[in-house]
Amino acid sequence: MSAIAREPGGPSMSEEDITRLRDRDARRGRVVRGVMLGVSLLYVGVLLLAPLAGIVLYALRAGIGTISSTFQLSDVQHAFTLTFEIMLVTVVVTTFFGVVVALVLARDEFPGKSLVSALVNLPLAISPVVVGLMAVLLFGRGGWFEPFFAARGIRIMFALPSMIIVTIFISIPFVIREVVPVLEELGMEEEQAAWTLGASRLQTFFRITLRNIRWGLLYGIALSAARAIGEVGAVLIVSGLLQGQTETATLYILRAFDQYQDQQGYIVALTLAAFSIVLLIGIETFKRRRTSRTA
Amino acid sequence: MPRWVPSRLVPALSLSLALIAGACSNNTSGGATDASGACTPAESPQITLAAYSNPYVAYGKLISTWQSEWKDAHDGQLVQFLTSFGGSTTQAQSIVNGLEADIYASSLDPDVQTVADAGLITHDWHSDTDGSIVQSGSVVFAIRPGNPKGIENWDDLTQPGLQILTPDPAQSGGARWNIVAAYGAAMRGEVPGYEKNNPDDAERLLEGIFRNVTVMDKSANDSLKNFEAGNGDVAITYDYQVATARAAGGEEELVEPPSTVQIRTPTVVVDANATKHCVTDIADQFVEYLHSKEAQEIFASSAYTRPIDTAQAARATDYLPAVKDLFTTDDIGGWDELVNTTVFGPDGAFTKAFQAAKG
Amino acid sequence: MAFLYLGLFIVLPVAAILQRGFGDGLGNLRAALDTFGAVNALKLTITMAAITAVVNGIFGTLLAYVLVRMRFPGRDLLSTVVDLPFAVPTLVAGVMLVALYGPNSAVGGWFEGHGIHIIFAPLGILLALLFVTLPLVVRSVMPVLLELDPAEEEAARVLGAGRWITFWRVMFPALRPAVAAGALLAFARSLGEFGAIVVVAGNIANKTLTAPVFISQLLQPGSTGGGPDAAAAVSAVLFGLAFVLVLITERLVSHAARRS
Repeated sequence: MSAIAREPGGPSMSEEDITRLRDRDARRGRVVRGVMLGVSLLYVGVLLLAPLAGIVLYALRAGIGTISSTFQLSDVQHAFTLTFEIMLVTVVVTTFFGVVVALVLARDEFPGKSLVSALVNLPLAISPVVVGLMAVLLFGRGGWFEPFFAARGIRIMFALPSMIIVTIFISIPFVIREVVPVLEELGMEEEQAAWTLGASRLQTFFRITLRNIRWGLLYGIALSAARAIGEVGAVLIVSGLLQGQTETATLYILRAFDQYQDQQGYIVALTLAAFSIVLLIGIETFKRRRTSRTA
Repeated sequence: MPRWVPSRLVPALSLSLALIAGACSNNTSGGATDASGACTPAESPQITLAAYSNPYVAYGKLISTWQSEWKDAHDGQLVQFLTSFGGSTTQAQSIVNGLEADIYASSLDPDVQTVADAGLITHDWHSDTDGSIVQSGSVVFAIRPGNPKGIENWDDLTQPGLQILTPDPAQSGGARWNIVAAYGAAMRGEVPGYEKNNPDDAERLLEGIFRNVTVMDKSANDSLKNFEAGNGDVAITYDYQVATARAAGGEEELVEPPSTVQIRTPTVVVDANATKHCVTDIADQFVEYLHSKEAQEIFASSAYTRPIDTAQAARATDYLPAVKDLFTTDDIGGWDELVNTTVFGPDGAFTKAFQAAKG
Repeated sequence: MAFLYLGLFIVLPVAAILQRGFGDGLGNLRAALDTFGAVNALKLTITMAAITAVVNGIFGTLLAYVLVRMRFPGRDLLSTVVDLPFAVPTLVAGVMLVALYGPNSAVGGWFEGHGIHIIFAPLGILLALLFVTLPLVVRSVMPVLLELDPAEEEAARVLGAGRWITFWRVMFPALRPAVAAGALLAFARSLGEFGAIVVVAGNIANKTLTAPVFISQLLQPGSTGGGPDAAAAVSAVLFGLAFVLVLITERLVSHAARRS
């Protein structure tokens, strides 16, 4: 029974009083919960959903004709292709090395480990403009590595390689951040068991380690991909804005608005947003699998 | 390496590096100049043009027109063009940082000087045809329909409570034209209330104007778009920029101040890059073409620009009004002096005015 | 080999910036800070980042609570929507904000009519930053909330404690490190945000010019601030700040993990 009524030495309460108190409490509880829910929904609605609705409206306002003609523009097609290429290379590299680094961070002990961990997270906090600047300092005229590459006729700056490099930089943290906690929770028992049973290192890695981390890994990959296609600040600096050659989808959007082609800009922006939302649904699915797997 | 890291990862590392290096090889196509200086032109030469943001329509037409004329005259050879449009100063910086543009279409001389100072332009572009100038215009005010604030001259910009848009001089060539126009008009005694040849008065005018500046975008184009989006009462901008905006459906109107500077934009071959790509000859010919009557007509009809000659430019065109007192930067001291001393120098009229207005 | 990867991609670029910015001593930093608008750019950036961290710290925690402790139709959908900023490119976010709140739109026009400036004003910057950083806080707090044993709270409720006291005295102490970590991450992220801001803010020196955009301006040759060296110096300072913050966040998170 409710302990509220049992105050030592105090007046005892009737059954009805107790019920009334409990109902009032429940009602208040419902009101409070309702308010909390309402405020949360309002905040999310205004902050996140309203702008999305805005862009859908603006893009669709253009009409089917404009939409299809936009996708036929060679500049637009090239921009999408370029964005996709960069995303692909970025994801491959960051996944691959991300797993390696995650393994080291989760399983090894060494001095300066938290420093390394912080380094891994650093790209999340650095402004993309600074990333672009770093690339210029390394690969631009007078840069640290410029003579090396120039002598071999390899162009890095204002060409695809520099764009890939900066995109990789900003995408480094995602896979690592998602895989490390999973690895830490799993421990090494399964792998050790496999080794004692005679499995090779490679077999163990693919059959056991990779299988165990797969949902966390996929989640990290999806985040990484989303970040890569959305990159603008750094590529703005390193690409040289060569139309039809180094113009990504995001750079195209900037130019479209600049050159009085607002509708094309909104359409391409909405396309990117739509693709990102598909990725997002993938992210959510992987995340749910991951939490249910390790729960 | 720890036991659990498979040894196959090392070759995989080299594979990814190879992937990236492979992506590089796309770029080294076309002609090249070898060590001895001899040049092997490519079958289908490629010219990279880095231009300031406004004349994208004009250059699009100029390039395709010139390409077909060249094809007819040269046995069907197709010259390919790679174009990049951005803020004039940003483009200059990119070229200095390694963007291998063969031709640089700038919006003002000092930006070209930046590229020259980096050693990339070695010929004296001031001695070329028309001093390398290919387009001209004037600095004007873009205002709301009906001119509700009654803006007619530079001093009207200092009225309290007015909201002015002009781009940021640190990023936009257009911004510097705007400032130089105000300075010049005051110095020439064409602004009521400001004494002729009085640098302090010119500074006072600039201070008054910049007290009212609410937004400083990164390019002249951005500035006008900002204005069109509903911000501000007046935007200081190029006349041909306003004409472009109106042609695209904008409703703003144009007020030509009685005295303003003639905007003269140079287009120059970047010798170092053109030599490296073995396209110097072709680039020279394209730039020369820009001065032809045909090209100037394309500039006038697509970019709405004025004739290069100052006296002719002061007359009205199909799209633009006449200018009472059209002066050039040479009339007020020349760019070097303006940039380094009188206007943008450490004690320059603008430098001091801006600090007083915004500090 | 992990170190080769990290070294190549992270340490090297960082070293380049540090060398460029501080190779000649503090002169470059002083030149950059002397530039007009520099100090205010830094001040504005830090202020906006702080406000964002506080506001999203509160609402993020609220959202986390709602998502973990309450059941209602559409809960999964809400969880997905909260992750939206993770997926959407920041530039697109900026474009969306302009589309919705720009003076020409219905909503924006209403605001302008009442003298409230959003786009090209600090409020616009704040909205962009809140958008981008919300999931950082929510995702930081949620795992910790999930771990919390509801038994403690039930005990408190049964003993007569009100809802608010229960939250403040029982739950919050356990959540504190996670909320702090999330807020710090939001702060650090806000320091660097470029894509959403460059579209929304207008870049007015001393008014809406943020540090990252300011740095990109320093890179222009006509700039009075000292060019790439000065840009490197300011970048290095922002960088160092971000690094320290991330380090603190790491400590907080591992500290909390060890305790639970």
